[in-house]
Amino acid sequence: MDNPNPNALRRSLLIAGSTLALAPRLAFAQAKYPSRPVDFIVPWGAGGGADQLARRLGSLIEKDLGVSLPILNIAGATGNTGMTKLLSAPADGHSMAVFIADTLGTLAGGAGRYKLSDLAPLGIMIRQPSGLFVKADAKWKTFDELLAEAKTREIKVGITGFGGPDEMHVVKFNEQGAKFRPVPFAKPGERYSSVLGGHADVVIEQAGDVRSFLDSKQMRPILFYAEQPQVGYEDIALAKKYGVTLAISQFRAIVMRAGTDPKQLAVMAAAMDKAAHSPEFRKYLADELAFADSYIPAAKAGPFMAEQLALIDANMPKKS
Amino acid sequence: MDVLPLLATGFGHLFTPVNLAVLAAGLVLGMLVAVLPGLTLVMGVVLALPFTYKMGVAPALILLTAMYVSGTYGGAITAILFRIPGEPMDVPLIWDGYEMARKGEAALALGWSLVAALVGGLVSAVVMVLLAKPVAGLALAFSTPEFFAIVFFGLASVVTLSQGSLANALISLCLGLLIATVGVDEVYGAERFTFGQPFLQDGVEFLLVMVGAYGIGEVLTRMGTGFAAEGGEAGSGAARFRTAFPSLSSILGMKATFARGTATGIVVGIVPGAGATVSAFVAYGIESQYGKNRAALGSGAAEGIVAAKSAATASVGGALVPLLAMGIPGSGATAIILAAFLLHGIQPGPQVFVANPDLVYTVFATVFAGVIGMCILGYFAIRPLCKVLEAPEAIVSAFVVVFCFVGAFAARNNLSDLNVIAAFGVLGFLFERYGFPIAPLVLGTILGPLAETNFMTTMVSFDNDWTVFFTRPISGGILALAFAGLAWPLAKAVLQRIRASRSAHGQPG
Repeated sequence: MDNPNPNALRRSLLIAGSTLALAPRLAFAQAKYPSRPVDFIVPWGAGGGADQLARRLGSLIEKDLGVSLPILNIAGATGNTGMTKLLSAPADGHSMAVFIADTLGTLAGGAGRYKLSDLAPLGIMIRQPSGLFVKADAKWKTFDELLAEAKTREIKVGITGFGGPDEMHVVKFNEQGAKFRPVPFAKPGERYSSVLGGHADVVIEQAGDVRSFLDSKQMRPILFYAEQPQVGYEDIALAKKYGVTLAISQFRAIVMRAGTDPKQLAVMAAAMDKAAHSPEFRKYLADELAFADSYIPAAKAGPFMAEQLALIDANMPKKS
Repeated sequence: MDVLPLLATGFGHLFTPVNLAVLAAGLVLGMLVAVLPGLTLVMGVVLALPFTYKMGVAPALILLTAMYVSGTYGGAITAILFRIPGEPMDVPLIWDGYEMARKGEAALALGWSLVAALVGGLVSAVVMVLLAKPVAGLALAFSTPEFFAIVFFGLASVVTLSQGSLANALISLCLGLLIATVGVDEVYGAERFTFGQPFLQDGVEFLLVMVGAYGIGEVLTRMGTGFAAEGGEAGSGAARFRTAFPSLSSILGMKATFARGTATGIVVGIVPGAGATVSAFVAYGIESQYGKNRAALGSGAAEGIVAAKSAATASVGGALVPLLAMGIPGSGATAIILAAFLLHGIQPGPQVFVANPDLVYTVFATVFAGVIGMCILGYFAIRPLCKVLEAPEAIVSAFVVVFCFVGAFAARNNLSDLNVIAAFGVLGFLFERYGFPIAPLVLGTILGPLAETNFMTTMVSFDNDWTVFFTRPISGGILALAFAGLAWPLAKAVLQRIRASRSAHGQPG
């Protein structure tokens, strides 16, 4: 952190001094890891999907590790304010963060202030496919009808923001002559009301996030971007049927700073693994309409994210 | 009608010893976070959320709803007494409330704010209970053009805050809007005015501008004039007042103001994304353009307090309508209450009235009980707080500064925020010194981002066609009112000048 305060240097010297004084005690403490609370950074607001994951996971892991995992919600800049906090903390195994696909999207083209290699993944915990949803009484019964109409007139699609996977998925169909116009609504409430109020024709979302609207028959899905059919909505078309194989799943991973002691990473990754296989966590995945095989262990999580990033890089919409 | 028995059941759930204790705790906590200038109501509710995980769903909802209700009041006290708006929604209270306090009517100003909160809160609660299902659809009629129009109306109220020079007020407003553009733009992600400084990437928090320019700026100004040795006029005034409440006849005389403020609060509260803050600004703007006593607004008129406060409290009932009836949060705090519902496995929406009616009506009962409890709490807080004004000004000012810094630091634990506050304190002092009003600056930083995002989204959505703002009936109507309000003082000035030049010509040379 750049700090304009002239006392910053003096303060950091003081901190350095006190760290030296504490060094023997720290060395002792590291014998058993973790022996003190591990900060769990959620770079999104309380109550959102990332927050709910952290709190459920936290309660499972706290029992296992015997230390508390205080959750810090640090929202802003598509998750990057929280990532800055993680990356400016020491790599001592006492800070970890939720890292989601949208934040990964901001690293596309090497645009971020940090690289994927600055992060040490502990596991991909949940993956949900994106889908297109319409108002329950919309005139289109199937995506065929929607796509046909999109070729004759402009169809507005509510998205979270420009430059992310949402926009890429939507404009992919424009290569076939459709006229989908993505319209950004950053706040979930505004995004949902845009389609319910008829201000947008379609909204791109994950089924779990709009579940209340699906259950109450206010919205229905019309297309999913996924390899396999969405559980519970097997009769809804998949994008690959229309030649669109792009399917960046909305994933949520847990990461620490690269450079953390491998032994510490192993302890935390093992805890994630145990939690991911618990019945409570499986139920959570089912409730969120996520892939049942969402979990990707630490060893494979890095390559998975790199692959997703390459996919995002290849599909970056041209700046208009 | 089956509403009353259900509401009675709701009260039944609320009036158990545990739930009442939770209600009281929520009211006190809400009031505390609202009093601290840096700690906003939304943040307070966020901080309380983790404590609700282990509670049952009813106490969890009671706690958060009670915090939400009383959080809309606490800031009024500091705004009126010390010119520190505890919450952005309390900024309009400074314009008249603090002026009243300076005239020695602090207790009366607080009394008016209590009556306004009580009326606004209770009326909106009734509307919420009776109309939750039918009215919910109203929220959907508002899209980004309408939202922009509402915010623009709030910005247009700047003409009434000019205290003399309209030009200076517009300069101040534009500076505020400019400050609001700092950081990463919400629609296209472009960095603006960050000068490569990471701490500027997230923009300049409006609460830093608000607390700095008002709180610190006021202290610097008073320091410049030399502190009064004993309590200011305000303090001696507070001691003189036996009863703080306005008389019934004066309340009845202001019934139109109450009605306008409350209606504005309910409607703006229902619109997703707009909460108590926008309600308060818009209600003040309406009062300043259509109120009977509009000329006196800004110089210590009770109408200003009533309009802003009744709207802010009424927005609570409004915001809960789309949340419960459709699962769409209408404000920052309701988004957190939605999270509490979800974490307990309950999805608000049309089916919740069928599946969990007892919970819905417990929330309704909490709003009723919360509004009344909050007013009782506020009433007992008034006397001791007015006493504070009797302390020597220099000491009170020292506490004001500490209060501002602690509050701002608590918000993000960021030391550079304290430098920003100090900088805006100096700016506020200079503004005061050279006759620039601070209010438009703060107005611009709070409403600027809302106006921009909704304008840009409209442009994206409607193919850069700016005429939609005028061709859509609701937004066109609101914008017409706003432009009329803006043009009127200009037209009046021109007319006066013509008349003056005529009479000058008429005079025998």
